[in-house]
Amino acid sequence: MSKTNENVLNIKHVSVIFDGFKALTDVDIQVKRHSIHFFIGPNGAGKTTLLDIICAKTKPTSGTVHYYPKGREDIRLTGMKEYKIVNEGVGRKFQVPSVFVELTVFENMVLSLKGHKGVWESIFYKVSKADKEQIMEVLKKVGLQDRIDIQAGSLAHGEKQWLEIAMQLVQKPEIIMLDEPAAGMGKPETFKTGELLKEIKKECTIIVVEHDMDFVKQIADTVTVLHEGKVLMEGNISDVLADRTVQAVYLGRGGERNAEDQ
Amino acid sequence: MKKLAGLKGKGNHLCFLIIAVLLAASPLLVSSTSMIQFLGKCMCFSIVAIALDLIWGYTGMLSLGHGIYFCLGGYGMAMYLRLRDNGGQLTDFMQTGGLEELPVFWRPFQHFPLALLFIILIPTVLAGAIGFFIFRSRIKGVYFSIITQALTWAAYSLFIANSKYTGGNNGITDFSSLLGSTRGPANRGNLLTLFWVTLLALILVYMLASFLVNRKFGKLLIAIRDGENRTFFSGYCVNNYKNFIYTLSAILAAIGGALYVNFNGSITPSQMTISYSITMVIWVAVGGRGTIIGAVIGAFFINLCEYNLSSGSLADIWQYIIGIIFCVTIVFFKGGIVGIFRDQIPALLKGRGKKKEVA
Repeated sequence: MSKTNENVLNIKHVSVIFDGFKALTDVDIQVKRHSIHFFIGPNGAGKTTLLDIICAKTKPTSGTVHYYPKGREDIRLTGMKEYKIVNEGVGRKFQVPSVFVELTVFENMVLSLKGHKGVWESIFYKVSKADKEQIMEVLKKVGLQDRIDIQAGSLAHGEKQWLEIAMQLVQKPEIIMLDEPAAGMGKPETFKTGELLKEIKKECTIIVVEHDMDFVKQIADTVTVLHEGKVLMEGNISDVLADRTVQAVYLGRGGERNAEDQ
Repeated sequence: MKKLAGLKGKGNHLCFLIIAVLLAASPLLVSSTSMIQFLGKCMCFSIVAIALDLIWGYTGMLSLGHGIYFCLGGYGMAMYLRLRDNGGQLTDFMQTGGLEELPVFWRPFQHFPLALLFIILIPTVLAGAIGFFIFRSRIKGVYFSIITQALTWAAYSLFIANSKYTGGNNGITDFSSLLGSTRGPANRGNLLTLFWVTLLALILVYMLASFLVNRKFGKLLIAIRDGENRTFFSGYCVNNYKNFIYTLSAILAAIGGALYVNFNGSITPSQMTISYSITMVIWVAVGGRGTIIGAVIGAFFINLCEYNLSSGSLADIWQYIIGIIFCVTIVFFKGGIVGIFRDQIPALLKGRGKKKEVA
């Protein structure tokens, strides 16, 4: 009871091999409930692949992912269909903002609501007052409450990111996975996103992949450093930053590489 | 702004209402039988165009083989009508082929209710099965188009090769409509009833399609078109949605085909060819994909062009003209005719207004 309740996600011995390339090797990670858990690491470390494994976009070569929803039996996510995983309460935001550009902000939210996912249900579904209130409440959190009738495609980049986060939230998930939520955002926007995530943390667990170290420092509870498909170390942000190996692998070399890119 | 959006939504329906009223009144205005027959066919084409628009314009799946469903409906109806006019006897092509009794799959078409059932059931089962395998394998985009095209080609070859069952190249000919002969002034009543029944069918199909696309279901089709991945990760089994709309589209195309043979008096495999299927795509593209009214307008516009151009001095080059219209639409007017009125003209007026303000 106590053990299963503490962790919401248990990644056990996960390995992925793409055509002989070892994207992940024997990864073991536990994610604590109501925490903000970061996966960091240099390019090609396997962070996005790990998210893909959890939400079943990619199948692991070996290993399993177990999910412990509140007050329910644990669920083995490996081998499930991706849309079923979503309906069990594990949401995912992609690296490139992927909102439905031709639909309005409100319509985007309606499609993301929990339930009514069948063909017949969606034909006869009507937005109820409770649904509308819930949508407005979530939109208020991300600051888009005044833009409900705008086409999602004409939102600014940062707003699209927030809308996509809102689309996750409105599903009332237990876990939200965010792939680079602050990518392409300025400092103030990034900070605002951080504060938003802190707020969301009260309701669910958040897994984030991010490069921006200030963002990590701002909100991280736990940080897992990945390097060449393996877990290098795990701990809180100050421990991780103080670690010599991490400095060598990630901050040192990664930093140089970033500098070269720029 | 909101008011304007509402007006736009109603504008489509108003436009359809005008078309429907004009069509309903056309028998009173036009005396030519061939013109009435032609308009009747156009209504059938509109039904097919709406069917195609649902899967292409809304869901983003370009089927280049809808001729197969159009023909399945058409052949079903033709088989019934031919047997009825024949007194249930063997047709000429069966006799030529050396058959001694009616093939098993022709037998249900001796009875009208059964024939109707099969006109709907065969496309449903075929499209459902094709859709099940295609969408389960997550085949999309160009690959989907190629497969639909190949299947249509296969069906076409099958119909040609088995001429003792299908009439081969000539198809099924020499039958009158459901209501009896429509030729000549004496039978004008039959023709007009048929015409109005077809109009009613078009109105019902238009209403069904408009209903669907305005529900959450319709928004979801657009969502699948614009971000299939995101739709999966919003918790939807996209395969089911695609299969549902693909099958529905096949049924509507079959209904269009079944009505069409009543006006045409024959059905041939040429209506199953790839080029004919692509013509259907052109209707939708030129009219304006992603709007139901666009499909209707496109079907009428292209066929009216064809009707007027394919005889007279332009007879040799009318296909080039249709081709040019199609190319110009794709390159300059992505929204088709509807897009011109909805986007381009308002933008132009706005631009002028601004210039005036500056001046």
